[in-house]
Amino acid sequence: MTTTEELPDRGSPPMTEQTPLAVIWAKIREREAWTDEEREQVLDDLFPADQRVIPYAKRFFTLIILSTTIAAFGLIGNSAAVVIGAMLIAPLMTPMLALSASLMYAQMARLIGSVVIIVLGTIGAIATGWLASAIAGGTLTTSLTPELVARTTPSLLDLGIAVAAGLAGGYVLTHKGSGASLPGVAIAVALVPPLATVGVSLEVGNATAASGALLLYVTNLIAIVLSAAVVMLISGFVPDYIRQLAKGKIGLRLLPWGIALLAIAIPLGNHTKSVIDNELLTRQIATAVEEWDPQAVIVTLGADRDGDHAVVDITIATTADREPAWKLAQGITEASGVAVDLNVNYRQEGRDGASTS
Amino acid sequence: MGRRQAELLVLLVVSALLAAACTTTSAGERLVVDVFGPYRGDDARAFAASVAPFEERTGIEIRFVGSGSFARDIQDRVADADYPDVAIFPQPAIIREFARDGILIPLSDVDVDEDAPRVSRTGDATPTVLGRDYGVWYRAAVKSLVWYPPTVFAERGYEIPESWEDLVALTERIESDGLTPWCLTMESFASTGWVGTDWIEDIVLRLHGPDVYDDWVDGIVSFKSDEIMEAFDIFGEVVNERGRVLGGAHRVLNTRWQDAQIPMFEPEPKCLLHRQASFYRTHLPGSAVIGEDTDVFLLPAPDGGEPPIVVSGDIAAAFTDRPEVLAFLQFLGSPEAGTPWAKLGGFTSPHPDFDTSVYADGFDRRMGEIIENAAVIRFDGSDSMDPAVGTGTFWTGMETFVRTADVVRTVTEIQSGYPQPALLPTEGSAP
Repeated sequence: MTTTEELPDRGSPPMTEQTPLAVIWAKIREREAWTDEEREQVLDDLFPADQRVIPYAKRFFTLIILSTTIAAFGLIGNSAAVVIGAMLIAPLMTPMLALSASLMYAQMARLIGSVVIIVLGTIGAIATGWLASAIAGGTLTTSLTPELVARTTPSLLDLGIAVAAGLAGGYVLTHKGSGASLPGVAIAVALVPPLATVGVSLEVGNATAASGALLLYVTNLIAIVLSAAVVMLISGFVPDYIRQLAKGKIGLRLLPWGIALLAIAIPLGNHTKSVIDNELLTRQIATAVEEWDPQAVIVTLGADRDGDHAVVDITIATTADREPAWKLAQGITEASGVAVDLNVNYRQEGRDGASTS
Repeated sequence: MGRRQAELLVLLVVSALLAAACTTTSAGERLVVDVFGPYRGDDARAFAASVAPFEERTGIEIRFVGSGSFARDIQDRVADADYPDVAIFPQPAIIREFARDGILIPLSDVDVDEDAPRVSRTGDATPTVLGRDYGVWYRAAVKSLVWYPPTVFAERGYEIPESWEDLVALTERIESDGLTPWCLTMESFASTGWVGTDWIEDIVLRLHGPDVYDDWVDGIVSFKSDEIMEAFDIFGEVVNERGRVLGGAHRVLNTRWQDAQIPMFEPEPKCLLHRQASFYRTHLPGSAVIGEDTDVFLLPAPDGGEPPIVVSGDIAAAFTDRPEVLAFLQFLGSPEAGTPWAKLGGFTSPHPDFDTSVYADGFDRRMGEIIENAAVIRFDGSDSMDPAVGTGTFWTGMETFVRTADVVRTVTEIQSGYPQPALLPTEGSAP
């Protein structure tokens, strides 16, 4: 069965009269002239069938294991470059775009197939991260590296990144000739590093970090699937006859994903608030330290705010006589309005501590 | 990088909004009482909760700052004439010193409950200088306790020692079973050493009785006397004998006192006995249940006699006499003071009219009964001594002792803290 292809929309007003957002929107809506054969070609690439299933699965799981191993070692070694390398060979984006397409085309078998691949890939990646951490045993002591920590507290920013990356992924898929951009999409919305972080965190017994990293992964997953599906829908990749057949049901198919996205925005919003709170508190502490002892240099500073209370650990190097910790605790409370439990360590030797209420 | 910049942008916007909100809000005048004390962490929060009823009733704001190095810091503040309104002292001796210097407000100026508990070395009267009382005893603690794991004791057939001799035998049995008997750590910021002084006080009181104890606290019996040196010898058999204390001297001196008992809760306990006060319950791991995972027995007396009790306490005294300050001191001396803290656990009231039904569990109530029923009770010796020794050379001397095991050197160092010539009695009770 063939259908009449719609021509690209040539009726747009000249770009000079549009806002940048309108330009982007118009670009996303820009329709390619797809033939059914071309669509099938793209879908075939997303959903290997028959004799191509086994080689696809082999390739998929080999890349999952390799990319997660690289990511886990890169995270444990705190190397951003290595982690980016892992992102480039990570294969998870394809089944997610496949899931988007199967949602739009209402192809149940392909939908189940892609969900199975994603679930197995997810479990495989977490297991590989766990194993890599066990092999690297002893490298991690008590604290996670900054590269790992960065993936354990997702915020609304991560949701924004994932939505944009999902739009980009959908755009690349549905606009011929833009395939070279796919690696960029993979870097922007990393899937394997959060899973590696889940595995590593579980192996070192840090369940809180593991759940944070898992939240980041789920955020990315939902945002990619939903926004890629939207792009497929509006860019003409989903042919009109399917849209007409589905009538209002396309929106219904996307509804659970939209609800999931909103639901996930709540914990992300809380994370974002705590990031902002801690950043603000950190600045107030720095100011309080300067007033407390102008010669003090902050060597390390950890501030963890929970409501109107915060635990502050600070290491100071100073050439002046040591000022008592209670004065700093008082200064921080006056500056921030937050009660603190303060621990002051001196780089040379010694400790002091104070609390306010 | 982009992510960081975006976060900062959000932060700047929020900061600007907050700044705008502040400039448009006019703060109402509220009476404030500045309180300085030794509470940190959970204790600081429990104290804040315990004064909340006063704040709600009067509208007076209690602004509390707690120092981990309280004894040093309060003396520095007074030297700089930087007085808080009220300070809560674990050391009645420092109150006496400040009272002598005329910088504290006598209780006769405060309408304090006449039954408000007073503290002295005998644990029943307030620090007194020339007949005037200066502080109200707000919170009490029993020091002469040994924490132990009841389940492990039951499994291994260990029994709670009835006498000092039983305790020595139990220690040796634990050692011969391949375990370390004592959990002991002392690091406490500028106050490091007090855990060791508690040991010496308990041993002196058990070995030589309350008269020698009182004379020692008053500076009449020297640290260099045979009685006190004998107490150091006995403590040395715990802290300086290889294998008696977990981790040895380095760990004892460099581990937070609050962490002493953690190894007792490992699947294979690393140490089984921890001599520490009742207030340690606040520092037990959250999962530890008193009565199941851990419990206490009284540090026994020689020959199985009734154990004498060393108590400590937090005593509130005022530096300023504004009405709101005196009202707060009056509140701290009332029977209701500390009720919310008692409900949380970790507070024992020394007030005779305190409602004992509010205690969170039987533990704090038990501590109250121990204090009430003790045949011989004495306030913490180092807290009652001349501060130059009690919170000075006695504390630092305990570090020397743990490090060197040298009794003569230690007692000489501690005794040198007294103004020369030594052995002048410090002022005790009122004439």
